[in-house]
Amino acid sequence: MGKRFSYGGDAVGAPRKRAKVVHEAPTSEEVHASRQLRQLLIFDQDPARSRHGLQSFKLFLDELLGADGGIKSERARILRDYLDSEKPAEEDESPVYLPDIMQTWSYAAQTNNENIMSAVPVVLVLLLRLLSQSLETVPYGLGICRTLLQKRQQELIARNLAADKGKSFVISPTLRLLREAVSFDGGAIARPLFRARATMLKSLARNMGIVHMGEDKEDTKRPSARTNAIQFFLSAIKYLHPEAKKELLAQRDVVSALTRDIKQDPPYLLKELLTGLKTHIIMDDKVPREAKSNLLNTSTLVRLSALYQYRLDSPAENETSIADLAHELLLTVCTNPACGVLRQDSGLYPREIDPNTTIPTAELDDLGLEAVVWMNKFRNEVPIRNFTLSNFLPNLRPWSSVKQSELITSIFKVAPELVANYFINNKSFTFEPKLSATWIGYAAFLFNTVILPIPENLCRGPSVPELPPPTSIVLDNILPLPLNQKALVRCLEHKSNMIKFFATRILVVAIEKLDAAIRIYQDPSHTNKSLWNEAARRLIDEFCQRSPGIRNMINACQKIPTQDLLHREAASRLLRLLYEVLPQATLSAKLDVSTQLDAVLSRISNQELEDPRDFALGLKELESLLAIAGYSPGMRWFGAAKGTTLSPFTQLLKVCVEAPKGVSPKTILQVLNFVAVEQQLVPGHTGHPGLLPLVEALQASAKYASQVWSFLDNCFTQCANKSVKYVEMLQEIAQEAAESTRQKINEPLVSPIILAIRDQLPHASKNGGEDVLKALGRLLPNFLGLSITVGESKPILNSVFSKMVADLPDPKGKLAKAGVPGRLQFQHNTWAPKRTKASASEKNASNHLETTTSETTIDQDTLESMLHIPDSLEAENSALMKWANKTADELVDEGYATSLIALLASEHASIRKEALVSILKVADKIKQSEYEEKEQVWLLLAELAETARDNINDGPLPSTIVAFASHALHIVRDPLHGLYPKVNIFLTRGPYWSLDKLPLVDEILTEEPNVGDAFYTQISWLLTYLIDGLRTTHDLELYHKKRAKGPIFERILALAVNPYMRLPLRTQALRLLYRASGIEGGSTTLTTRFSVMNWLEERRSACTDPSEAAVYDGLRKRIWETCDQQRVTEWSKTGLP
Amino acid sequence: MSSSSPEPQQQQQQQQQQQEQQKTEQKSQKQIDDEFTSYYLQRATKEFGEALDAVRSADDFKSESSVAVLISALQQGTEMFSGEERRGVICAEGRGRGRGV
Repeated sequence: MGKRFSYGGDAVGAPRKRAKVVHEAPTSEEVHASRQLRQLLIFDQDPARSRHGLQSFKLFLDELLGADGGIKSERARILRDYLDSEKPAEEDESPVYLPDIMQTWSYAAQTNNENIMSAVPVVLVLLLRLLSQSLETVPYGLGICRTLLQKRQQELIARNLAADKGKSFVISPTLRLLREAVSFDGGAIARPLFRARATMLKSLARNMGIVHMGEDKEDTKRPSARTNAIQFFLSAIKYLHPEAKKELLAQRDVVSALTRDIKQDPPYLLKELLTGLKTHIIMDDKVPREAKSNLLNTSTLVRLSALYQYRLDSPAENETSIADLAHELLLTVCTNPACGVLRQDSGLYPREIDPNTTIPTAELDDLGLEAVVWMNKFRNEVPIRNFTLSNFLPNLRPWSSVKQSELITSIFKVAPELVANYFINNKSFTFEPKLSATWIGYAAFLFNTVILPIPENLCRGPSVPELPPPTSIVLDNILPLPLNQKALVRCLEHKSNMIKFFATRILVVAIEKLDAAIRIYQDPSHTNKSLWNEAARRLIDEFCQRSPGIRNMINACQKIPTQDLLHREAASRLLRLLYEVLPQATLSAKLDVSTQLDAVLSRISNQELEDPRDFALGLKELESLLAIAGYSPGMRWFGAAKGTTLSPFTQLLKVCVEAPKGVSPKTILQVLNFVAVEQQLVPGHTGHPGLLPLVEALQASAKYASQVWSFLDNCFTQCANKSVKYVEMLQEIAQEAAESTRQKINEPLVSPIILAIRDQLPHASKNGGEDVLKALGRLLPNFLGLSITVGESKPILNSVFSKMVADLPDPKGKLAKAGVPGRLQFQHNTWAPKRTKASASEKNASNHLETTTSETTIDQDTLESMLHIPDSLEAENSALMKWANKTADELVDEGYATSLIALLASEHASIRKEALVSILKVADKIKQSEYEEKEQVWLLLAELAETARDNINDGPLPSTIVAFASHALHIVRDPLHGLYPKVNIFLTRGPYWSLDKLPLVDEILTEEPNVGDAFYTQISWLLTYLIDGLRTTHDLELYHKKRAKGPIFERILALAVNPYMRLPLRTQALRLLYRASGIEGGSTTLTTRFSVMNWLEERRSACTDPSEAAVYDGLRKRIWETCDQQRVTEWSKTGLP
Repeated sequence: MSSSSPEPQQQQQQQQQQQEQQKTEQKSQKQIDDEFTSYYLQRATKEFGEALDAVRSADDFKSESSVAVLISALQQGTEMFSGEERRGVICAEGRGRGRGV
């Protein structure tokens, strides 16, 4: 490296120093006359004198601006005279206003005198401000502005703007001058100013970056160059025309500089900036979308979002903070498509796919949902349209800020395509439960995401597309990825109740959303109904896989402290939804509602809840549990549980009667009425208000009501247990009344419960002595009177009452004399008599309903997709080889054993024999193993082998036996299964099974279930096994064979009439019939032996759901088409259908 | 209760009842929502007081922002209740009819 030479004249080796800039304060003098002013401002090559003149002028202008009257003041006359004297000649083509000042500026530029280069714009700014105060002086101001636009002045401005970064004292006044110029006279020169943008906007982006340095706040009186640049920019966009704005925003450096240092800007500037951008660009309809997009790119959005953490302002109470202003702006920008950021997406359908593609029917039939090639494609990546937003969202922190969470969910609402995309791209944040502010914030954010509605048509279109959306995307909208099974289970099992509560609430809204989605999937208007049905099934399956197991949810709901009303309410809501939306999944769960119901009832009816609002909340829990009880037919309404004195029915009635004012236990009363009609406590007559007269009477005699509960409880139980007795009693009393009054009584209408009360009255004193009788003496006349009001038979009630009086304490005969009071009115409840004649509009409506009902039909293909169950016993001979190397666990749990069992129904004797040998070996292998339930499994297999051994040569084993063994295997390996005791009792009964009988049918249909209300779970198991067991004509014989308790078919048909049985089980029963119709002679037997056609017709007329009715119709048609029509016609005499 | 000529005391009671009913009916849905939210929050803080204390002493708790997050998280459960359900809870007043007899 060579030596450095010093070129300076100073001593060798002395470092060169930058000359120190000393800003000497200019001198000044007070202005008294226009002439003096002219002399002060006249061009002079001496910079000191020029500065003196400009400084004096500046002080003079400052004084005028601060004085009353401004330009119109007396003292301003000096200025006006001066300006008049300086006015250029009118004929001048390009007049130069204030020529001396302009010349001073120009000379300063030539001599590089920065003090004067700064001082000139300073006085011009003040002068323009002053001139804008009066209409008379505005033209002069405009003249000055136009002078600035002349080439010479433009160059001076450009030079000032491009001064060194450190020369803010030159740059800032120039920017202020431009700001005054562009906004002068309502932006009169904005257009030509923008045309000269090469000079006027020179270094704008650079100048926006000259920020205030130092630790203290920026002084509002000495704004930084950045502040001045931003203010000039804002004034420009206020007055520029849309095209110019577009061009301005196309300058990337300007757009980027606008927000780069936004975090350090003073609050007043930010307020101006945010409002200015919003008013003059974002919400300006004339600014093209493209220009807005240029401004609002991802980095602008990210920088704006940094203002959520802005802490430099201290807003007054009624003032909006900068963080709030930024939030409002971001909300508008990201959710309003007119702002240029939000693009229209296709809802739950990803970009680039066509949900209305036509897929050949043959392909759909063969492959179902798999025929849609993109159905499973978007699990790890979702193509979207909203790139900007997708890139922006990960920069937000929804878990630590309510507003940021609100912003994201608002964006999700308008661009549902982003939900799946967001969670796929942000996998790092887990939902692992922890009692921390972050977890709670994240839980709240997820709740807000889940509660967003499913897009109306799943997309933006006017109707639901032809093909269902990809299941994974829909599921990600219902249960976003962080809400996976593992995390949710851990939440539900967490020791903190609050974490459980949060998880419960999320699950509630998720299941509600799933329900809403399924409703759209099952809309009858779809062309590809079977495809949508399959998609719905798949959605439910995948939901169940991602959500916690039903058992986990039920357990979490059952262990909640009694006093935690909110938590209990949410939990009961979750349970209710599980039963309503996922009935199949809940079938296998063992939930004993009655215990919970008892607990809630006793809490409510014992009035443990002081606050009436708590009481109302308790009622909500009760309502949910009641709904579940409605789904659980094992519910025992009558008869008190252990530790309680009243039955659930009476307790509920008590709750209704004693509900605080304002609380309307309408739902509970509906349930009670439903039960009361079912159990024949009250007439099921249309228009009869059920228990309402009793409730009203009890409320009216509140003082006495508490005495009669246990008596009434007894009457309810008696009435429910002996309904026939009271129907007969009614007939007798009606006859007596008719004889005594000599009137004919048609269709006597009286609530049987009144007869039960009459019947039990002689024993009333046992339930509490004379007090009860006294209370009844007050209550019964009212009750009977109200019963007459609602339309019950007056003569009969009079006759009943006269008998009651004998048992009531009535020493002075007042009761007997008064009789049943007439014309009683309801005061605590509302009751209006139903009109007997339906109005015209109602008739039309019902006619319409009838026509629409009759129009709902289904074709045989749809029927098949609904009712056909594939043959699970179909022989797969390879099973003989596959089991050999498997462990005991695999043999039982992975279905190798059941495959072998199925081979016993094979048509080939050799296969059957080999299967038998294999089964014996398997049984032996399991017995030798460490498998937990090895004894039971061995016993089952050994008995099956024993049963098969002697019959194996004669032909296939009956499918019923094989199906039973396969399904029983699932039970013996699970001791918690409701049927475990029954199957084991069956197995220990003997070493082999009768081929003629269907194992366990009697036990399940007639005996009480061993566990709580597991009856329907058992029925579900039974029906599945019966369907699998019906494959051949030989099997069919077993189903219609006469037996002690009736043929199997007859019993199943009777079972399916049970009103408590829900749709899934009813459908199972129909599937059995469908299976039978596929076997030769099946339909004929069903028709001639079991009158299945009439049964179906009856079921059809009883059901209210038109789609279910269509299934009955479809099945009737199928049976008619598959039966021996000639024989059936002969049998029916009149012909069918 | 029946009657063509109710006693004066009954009449008074009826009037009072009607007035109360009017009062509750007059409450706008907005008022009901506000009252319900405040009741919900009050109950939630009562039920989960211990857990909330634990969250307050967690490392990531910031007095400025976390309180707002917590409050918003707790009260969002109100969205599970329909307008009618909220009204039902808020308009419940007085004690049970059969109480104290």
